[in-house]
Amino acid sequence: MVVDVDVTLTMDGTNDYAEPTPTMKIAFVYAVLVALLLAAVGLALAVGHGQLSDPALRSTLLELRATRVAAALLAGAALAVGGVVVQGVFRNPLVSPSILGTTAGASLGGQLSLLALAWGAAGSTIPAELVLPLGCLLGAGVSLAILLVFCRERAGTLMLILTGFILSSLFLAVGGFVTSLAQDQWDLSRAVVAFTLGGVGGTGARQVAAAAPFVLVGLVASWAWSGTLDVLISGEDEARTLGVEVGQARRWTVVWVAVLTSAAIAVGGNVAFVGLVVPHALRPIVGVGHRRLIPAAALLGATFLVACDVIARVFPSRTELPLGVITGIIGAPVFLYLLARYYREVEHG
Amino acid sequence: MGSPGGSPPPLLETRELTVVRDGHPRIKDVSMSVEAGQILALVGPNGAGKSTFMKALAGILPGQGEILFDGQPAADLGRRERARRLAYVPQHSALDAPMLARDVVAQGRFAHRDRWGRASAEDRPAIMAALAATGALLFAERPFTRLSYGERRLVLLARALATGARILLLDEPTAALDVAHALSLLHRLRELAGRGHAVIVALHHLDEAAEHCTGAILLRQGRVVRAGPVGEVIAAGPVREVFGVNLVPGAHFGYRLPRVEEEGKR
Repeated sequence: MVVDVDVTLTMDGTNDYAEPTPTMKIAFVYAVLVALLLAAVGLALAVGHGQLSDPALRSTLLELRATRVAAALLAGAALAVGGVVVQGVFRNPLVSPSILGTTAGASLGGQLSLLALAWGAAGSTIPAELVLPLGCLLGAGVSLAILLVFCRERAGTLMLILTGFILSSLFLAVGGFVTSLAQDQWDLSRAVVAFTLGGVGGTGARQVAAAAPFVLVGLVASWAWSGTLDVLISGEDEARTLGVEVGQARRWTVVWVAVLTSAAIAVGGNVAFVGLVVPHALRPIVGVGHRRLIPAAALLGATFLVACDVIARVFPSRTELPLGVITGIIGAPVFLYLLARYYREVEHG
Repeated sequence: MGSPGGSPPPLLETRELTVVRDGHPRIKDVSMSVEAGQILALVGPNGAGKSTFMKALAGILPGQGEILFDGQPAADLGRRERARRLAYVPQHSALDAPMLARDVVAQGRFAHRDRWGRASAEDRPAIMAALAATGALLFAERPFTRLSYGERRLVLLARALATGARILLLDEPTAALDVAHALSLLHRLRELAGRGHAVIVALHHLDEAAEHCTGAILLRQGRVVRAGPVGEVIAAGPVREVFGVNLVPGAHFGYRLPRVEEEGKR
């Protein structure tokens, strides 16, 4: 048996591995993702009730559709990247903002802020458009803070998912209470229910404009933390020895997850599975490194939600289907498939 | 590199280092120092505190007493600065994602990046050199989770080298390796020590320590039983005292890498 103690022997292998393919492959993948997003946006602007050929309606229709496309795009990008980041922080590809109860927390925060708006408690000091995203942010932040307290550094998958489940249940229960409080005002209760189900149909341009900065800040900040997430993936002990301030990194990345989730919920309502399915679909293609994964997830997440919104609009039903229903119906089976594949791979090394 | 005349402070020194976990001292009053060019073996029975000592040196576990880098208290150094001076190779990485081996090695450059995580111009050469020095270049483009234990060990060693740190800590690097891979790894450690690294390595096999290390620290129940040149520590008396076994004189059953054997003959 010959063992390569000799460094020069292995140095000879250098040329075989100096192939430029990884970068070219990534460039190609990004090009495809951008093309898909453009196609989805084009489709979303062209398709729907009403004829674009009617010059009297054309600009109004396009404006309405552009608003909801923008809402879906922002929500999709935010939820997908939120999923990537939360999976990185907790070192677990099976969690997402919806599984950890962050979405439910943001949703409850949103419901409460709708109530506050209706009852005139908040409108005086804060611009109305900002009340909903801020309420969502508060809800998401509280939810993640509780999670961080209960799931200390070495929490396993079971603890994480159970804590998330319990938080979701709690927030849903409180949300039910909030909805019942709104019952005596028909408009309000309808708004709360529509918001809870998820959808970008009723999202106004001012709402989108208010949430857009949150999404942008969240995306850029998450990407800026990608180098840290790439080290945290090896566990907190190793990350510490490699120079990561683990506690600080966890707190900040969780803040960006809260910002992203809440902004998404504020414009798109409560849509599940985007943060779970999109990163899973991308990892085999772009790898697990966050520097590449985060922009790719933003693109694919946006495409996915814009496409889901097109389906919601063209689906032949009496009323428009809520967006959360579509993402759930598509997302849950896809996730089950990915989950099965993940465990097959884990089992077979 | 190396120490010129005079007596500069050692690369790494501990003074009465104590680590308390769950109310019990896991290591107690361990004082030691290591210089460039040395390979220091940490030996002792299971539970003697070898891993605990390493984790305290690496800053994973908090300890009482002093840890000094070049005479500077560790407490005065930030995490990044510490990561640039000391690299830790765990027995097993907690990494369970299919990250490419090359990207695992790139983790070693974290402490050299700026606030915004931008790669510096030295990153790529450092990563390539680390991959080359460990022989991990051959599987640099493969996912870490698809590699054998021996290959993973080399990738983790390459990551430690990529940090540029002169002090290397390795926790039982030869455990679960076959003799050829274990030997090859120990030879690499000797090479690294020859190039000015200070190596501290926890070992279970006393023959490996005796053969490849310059010094040794024998631990039992968290305390130093004997420390010094390896020949004095891995000796009949201390080994019987700590392990309760007798060293058999002349019964050494050794291995050599074929190439080293040939060079020896020349």
